[in-house]
Amino acid sequence: MSLITKTTLFYLLVALLVFGIGGVVTFYLVQKEVQKETDFALRDNLREITEELAEGVPLDFLKRGKADIADLGPAPRDTFYSFADTLAPHPYLEGQMEPYRKVTAVQEVNGRYYRISITDVFIETDDIYDVVVDIMLRLFIILSVAMLFFGFLITGWLFRPFQKTLERIRSFNLKDQQVLDLPQTSTKEFRQLNAFIAQMAFKARKDYLALKEFSENASHEIQTPLAIARGKLELLLETPGLTDEQLNLVQSAQQNINKLSRLGNALLLLTRIENKEFAGNQAPADFSGITQHCLENFAELASLKGLGLSRHIEPGVQVIIDGALADILVANLVKNAIRHNIPGGWVEVKLDARSLLVRNSGPAPRVPSEQLFDRFQKSRQGDGSLGLGLAIVKKIAEANGFEVSHRFTEGAHEVEVVF
Amino acid sequence: MKLLIVEDEKALSDNIRAYLSRGDMVCETAFNFEEAQDKLLSFDYDIVLLDIMLPDGNGLNLLRLLKRLQPETGVLIISAKNALDDKVQGLELGADDYLTKPFHLPELNARLNSIFRRRKFQGHKILEFQEIKINTDTHDVFVGEASLVLTLKEYELLLFFVTNKNRVLTKQAIAEHLWGDNVDLLDSFDFVYQHIKNLRKKISAEGGADYIKTIYGLGYKFSSDQ
Repeated sequence: MSLITKTTLFYLLVALLVFGIGGVVTFYLVQKEVQKETDFALRDNLREITEELAEGVPLDFLKRGKADIADLGPAPRDTFYSFADTLAPHPYLEGQMEPYRKVTAVQEVNGRYYRISITDVFIETDDIYDVVVDIMLRLFIILSVAMLFFGFLITGWLFRPFQKTLERIRSFNLKDQQVLDLPQTSTKEFRQLNAFIAQMAFKARKDYLALKEFSENASHEIQTPLAIARGKLELLLETPGLTDEQLNLVQSAQQNINKLSRLGNALLLLTRIENKEFAGNQAPADFSGITQHCLENFAELASLKGLGLSRHIEPGVQVIIDGALADILVANLVKNAIRHNIPGGWVEVKLDARSLLVRNSGPAPRVPSEQLFDRFQKSRQGDGSLGLGLAIVKKIAEANGFEVSHRFTEGAHEVEVVF
Repeated sequence: MKLLIVEDEKALSDNIRAYLSRGDMVCETAFNFEEAQDKLLSFDYDIVLLDIMLPDGNGLNLLRLLKRLQPETGVLIISAKNALDDKVQGLELGADDYLTKPFHLPELNARLNSIFRRRKFQGHKILEFQEIKINTDTHDVFVGEASLVLTLKEYELLLFFVTNKNRVLTKQAIAEHLWGDNVDLLDSFDFVYQHIKNLRKKISAEGGADYIKTIYGLGYKFSSDQ
């Protein structure tokens, strides 16, 4: 529920309460006023009759309408007047009683006493009730319509800067260089919000750029010293008179430099995929050709390790992916299948329009399938594997919206990438 | 062979220079864009070794300048950026080859020699070592007068040895030369040994001497010294 709907509903609820109480109060006030006015009119009437009696107007003439006058004679009595509610038959509607207000008085006029009683139609309570409810209901409806209409109009206008800000945030992209264009507003809270968001966006972009720059420079900064160290060792090897032991130490150092270099490259690749640096180069790639080419590259290595390599590649499979990443994806899968194999084992690569399937014989994994895709998951220590191959496969798959899964059945590993 | 090394990292530049100077190369160094530009404008080189990430400019701009001044000079790009874009762009601009850091110095030497042969010996790309002759154009190999039938890998191995004669070649450097980055798949370097054994056998079958010296546990050295 939007903020505007919520506030409007809340206001309507409050209005309903106010109108309810207001209705009750109005009802009693009106009722009281009506009675007061009726009594006032009756008293006027009484005075008028008394004055007319004093002027000598005949009694019969005055006994008209709702007035009832009785001559009580000259004997002295208490004079008074009192009001009462009474029921009397309706003048037109047969058998229906109507409430009346009645004043009964004993008055002395020119030494004689008269009993005068006057009745008047009294506005019924349920009539007042109906009118009050009717008025309240109409007012409430008018108010509701007005509130809904103007409420949405005014709040919409009031909240427009906020809506715009939301819109801008939604379309915000870290990689864009475009400045986050937040709307100008005179509302203090929105100004504060916008200032805060602008600051956050600026910082996020700055950090993103710094990270990107770092990951790009990291390669250069790491590889150069490694190249130097490797060169120094090669120069050392050229020195005459080194013992076998010394030569072995140099050799071992070189191997580790090599590993470090590969590690740096692999981590850099992961970072670059995460930073979506390849996202811009997505284009339909000839996946069949890429797979075929990759298998040719690895055919010799597979045969050197005594592995049988079979392939079922459907020609003309097109997949939307960055070409370089496609190469890396296939190469990593095939490499993995060759590395984690058994002597005299086999590798099978299947490609069709739906998926790429790489199966290979190999020892059972020591961790659950899903963990195989984590970084630095190694089946064995010290086999030259970095433990990043499947992590890279997973990242590439994620970046291109592919599904990647691993199964181990009947002594065979199966990694499938569903496009 | 006259070489200009354009590399901002002094230690690396020193390594390359020290290694290559032991052969028949004359090396000059430039440590930044300015210096490299001055040298390219003033002297002729057979090959320029170019780091494309320089502190004061992009090496690719030097490549453009060089191709305008001396189109016949060979260029080998070295870069720490394993970026495909740079590689493609560099080769499009006329670079002969591309090497990613960190590299083996024998690999660098082999690549430089390959460029040099392509650039200089128009039609006469014969490499000789004692009785062994290699025609780098037709890939024919002779021991004395007898022709040697080698597989592609054996040929590459022999060429690598001859261009790096009298140098220590580790099994790792040889393996990387033959199989590239995927060499980490090979659990041991026995495969290198297999190829070397075959090569030795073929050469001695035609009466050639065994120039491949084994350095125990480390690698090999191609040398006529006893």
